[in-house]
Amino acid sequence: MSTPARIRIYLTGVGGQGTLTATTLLARTALDQGLEVTSGEIHGMAQRGGVVESTILLGGWMSPKIGHGEADLILGFEPLETLRGMTHLAAGGSVLSNTEPLPPVGVSTGREAYPEMERIRAKVEGCAAKSWFLPCRTLGLQAGSVQAGNSVLLGAACASGLLPFGPDALEAAIRTHLAPKLMDMNLRAVELGVRAVASAS
Amino acid sequence: MNESTATSGATPGARPVNPLLADEPGARRLLLGNEAIVRGALEAGVNLVVCYPGTPSSEVPDTFRRIGGGGRYRLEYSVNEKVAMEVGAGAALAGALTLVTMKHVGVNVAADPLLTMTYTGLPGGLVLLSADDPGCHASQNEQDNRTYARFAGMPCFEPATAQEAKDMTRDALLLARELEQPVLLRTTTRVNHLRGAVKFGSLGQPAPIVPFERNPHRFVPVPAVARVRHAELVKHLGMAREKAEHSPWNTVRGEGRFGVIASGISRAYLSDALHETGWDDRVKVLDLGMTWPLPEALLTDFLSQCDAVLVLEELEPLLENDVRALAQRNNLPVAVSGKGGALTIYGEYSTQTVTQALADLLGETARLPIACDPETALPVRPPNLCPGCSHRALYYAVRKVFGDDAVYSSDIGCYTLGLLPPLRMADFLFCMGSSVSSGSGFATASGKPTLAFIGDSTFFHSGITGLVNAVFNKHDLIVVVLDNGTTAMTGHQPNPGVVQEVLGNACVHLDIEAVVRGCGVADVVKVRPFNVKSTMKALAEMKERSGVRVIIAEEPCVLYARRTLKKPRNQVAYVAEQGPSVADCLEHLACPAFFRDDTGIHVDENLCGGCMVCLQVADTIKARKRSDA
Repeated sequence: MSTPARIRIYLTGVGGQGTLTATTLLARTALDQGLEVTSGEIHGMAQRGGVVESTILLGGWMSPKIGHGEADLILGFEPLETLRGMTHLAAGGSVLSNTEPLPPVGVSTGREAYPEMERIRAKVEGCAAKSWFLPCRTLGLQAGSVQAGNSVLLGAACASGLLPFGPDALEAAIRTHLAPKLMDMNLRAVELGVRAVASAS
Repeated sequence: MNESTATSGATPGARPVNPLLADEPGARRLLLGNEAIVRGALEAGVNLVVCYPGTPSSEVPDTFRRIGGGGRYRLEYSVNEKVAMEVGAGAALAGALTLVTMKHVGVNVAADPLLTMTYTGLPGGLVLLSADDPGCHASQNEQDNRTYARFAGMPCFEPATAQEAKDMTRDALLLARELEQPVLLRTTTRVNHLRGAVKFGSLGQPAPIVPFERNPHRFVPVPAVARVRHAELVKHLGMAREKAEHSPWNTVRGEGRFGVIASGISRAYLSDALHETGWDDRVKVLDLGMTWPLPEALLTDFLSQCDAVLVLEELEPLLENDVRALAQRNNLPVAVSGKGGALTIYGEYSTQTVTQALADLLGETARLPIACDPETALPVRPPNLCPGCSHRALYYAVRKVFGDDAVYSSDIGCYTLGLLPPLRMADFLFCMGSSVSSGSGFATASGKPTLAFIGDSTFFHSGITGLVNAVFNKHDLIVVVLDNGTTAMTGHQPNPGVVQEVLGNACVHLDIEAVVRGCGVADVVKVRPFNVKSTMKALAEMKERSGVRVIIAEEPCVLYARRTLKKPRNQVAYVAEQGPSVADCLEHLACPAFFRDDTGIHVDENLCGGCMVCLQVADTIKARKRSDA
C-alpha cells in the first residue's frame, strides 16, 4: 500500500446525517495511528438540513481548510453534495460516494430537479483517478441503522488503499471511542464497506 | 453512530473522569479548538465561566457544562453579553479568575462595561473570549474584534491551532491575573471548529480568590478617578507590551530579505503555503500570537532586516497599518504590502490566497491547484426549519392572515430561516432584539402593519427593553414571541424561559406572559401554533386592534422535545389520497418531510416530526402510528 505522506480528505454531507461524528471518528483513528492530524468543520446551521463540510488533513498540515483543487480524497455522504464538492478534488484525487439521495426542499417541492445519478457518476469518473459508489443508507440499515451508513463509507475509504491505515485501524478506533451499544453495528457497517470495495475491484 | 461522552476509551461500564478534567500532563488528545480552550482555562485554574452562547463560541460553555467540573468552577449562562460581561467583571473584582465567552457581535453588546473595566482593572483576572466569524459562516457580519483590543486597551492573544488554543487560554488567564487587567482571547471560526492533537499540561488546583480591597478611587470611575485610571491603563499596556516583546508566542524564523508577518489563522495558511511551494528557505517569518500591544522593538528589528515585508491578517488591515507607521517612525526603507488583490478585507484567507501573495512578494509565479469545473444549476440546500418545527406552523398562519400587506421584522434565531419562500417571514433584521425596536420605528415611519418575531432566548436577551420602549412611546406593533422553550439555534442552552424541570435547582424559570404584562402590555394572547385554526383566529382578531399587542406562540422545539423533554411524537402524517390540497400544502407549508416521486407527494416517516399541521391544511393527509413506535 503506497500512500503519500500528506493527505487532505474533504468530507461533505447534509446536516443531521452524522457526518461530523464520522469525521471525528476518522480523525481519532488517524491520531491513534500516530499520525499528525488537523481536522475542521463548518456547520453554522448544520442541524437545519444545510450542507455540512468537514476536513481531515494528515501528515503535518496546519490549516484545517481545503480549497478548490486540494483534496486527495473526497468522501461524499450524499450524492448531490459529492457532485457539488467535486471542485475541491485535486488532480489525481479519488472519490468515495454514497449513491442514495436526500432531496433538498426545492427538489421535494418540485421547483428544482435532482441531478441524474448518471450525471454524478460521469462527473466523478471524469475528474477522479479512482472512484467508488456505495448504497450507504441500504448497507447502513443492513448493519442496523441509517446512521451506520457513515461507517460503511469510512470502512470503504480505509479499504481503498488511499489512506495510511486500513480497516483494522478504524475497527480499533470504533472499539475505543464509540459507546458499547453502538460498537457491533458500526463494526458490521465497516465490514460491509470493506466488502463493497473488494467486490468493486 | 454516536460518540460516547467518555472519549478517553476507558473501560466500558465504569464512569471515568472526563479526559478534560484528568491531571495527565503529557497526554495527547484530539480536541476541538473550543474544547482546548476549556482545558487551557482549567489548567490556569479558572474559578468562574460566564457566557452568552453564540456560534462559533458555544462549545466552550457547553463543554464546561457537559463535564460538570466537580466543583472546580462555576458556570453561568447569562441573559445577554452585557450582563455576562458585568457578572464576570464583578466576580473578577471580588477576586475570581474569570472567563467570559461570546461571539464577536456579542462584544458590541458588552462593550459598555468592557471599555471601562480596562480603566479600573480587575484583581482576580478576566479573559474575554471573542469568537469572530470571518466569512459570516453563522453571523450577520464579520467585524474584526481585534479592534476592541486597541479600542478598550486589552492585551490580545490569537491562537491558530488546537494546541495554541489550549496554551494561549491558560497564558491569557495567567496574564490577566498578573496584570490585573482584562485580556482578549480572539479566535475565528476556523480555530474554534478545528480539531487537532493537544498535549496536556498539569491540572493544578483552582486559582486562589484574591481578597477584595475597598478602593473607590480605583473602582468608582467618576470623572476625577477615570482621568487617573486612563493613565494607569496606558501604563499597564506598556507593561503588557514588554511581555509581548519577549512572549514565546511571538517568534522569528527563517532567513532572507523578504519578510512575512502573520497572525491568527493566516499563520496556518502561511505554514502550509510555504511547505507546498518549497519557499521555506526564501523568507523570514515573524509569527505573532500575542498580537496586542504590538511588540514594537521586535517588529522594528524585523523590519530593519527586510527589504520587503508582507503582512498576513484576515479582515481589517490593523497590523499592516501599524507596521507602516512603525516603518515610517523609524525611517526604515522597507516596502510593506498587505491588503490588495487576493488579500481582501472581507471574507477568509486560504492557503491559495497566501500562496499568491507570497508569489507576488518573491516575484515568482504561483502554481495554484487545478480544480475540475464547478457544476452549474445544482439544486441549492439552504438550512431550513426542521420538520415539525412550530415556527413553520406559526409563519404559515401569519402569512394566511396578513399576507404581503404586513411587514415582517425578524430577529436572531432559528426562526430567521423563515425568510425563505414560501413562508417569506423576514423583511429586515439587524441584531439580537432589533425585531421589536426596529419594528417600532418601521411601523411609525411607514404606517404599515408590522409584526416583530422574536424567540424566547432573544426576548430575554434584549427584546424586553424594546418592548418597554414600544409601550412607553405608544408604538403600533404586533410582537410575536416564538416561545419554543429553549435556545434552539445554538444547541439548546438554558435561558430563563426554559421549564423548571430542565433547569434543575441552579436556575429559576421566568414566565414570559408575566414579563410581557409587567412591561405594561395589556393586549396579550397565548396560542399553540400546532392548532392552526385557533392561531389564525387570534391573529385575525389582533389584526383589527392597534397599539402594542403581543402573541406568545408556545410550543417546544421539536428536537428539544424529543431529546431533552423525552416527548416522542408517535403519530406521523401520511398522504391518504393525492389531490390539489396535498399539492397546495407542499407548496405553502414546504415541510422538508414531504417529497415528490413518480407516484405523487408523500411524507417521509423518518423525517416527519409529528406536528400534524399538514392534516389541518390538506384534508386528504391523515395520521397513523409511527411504524416503529
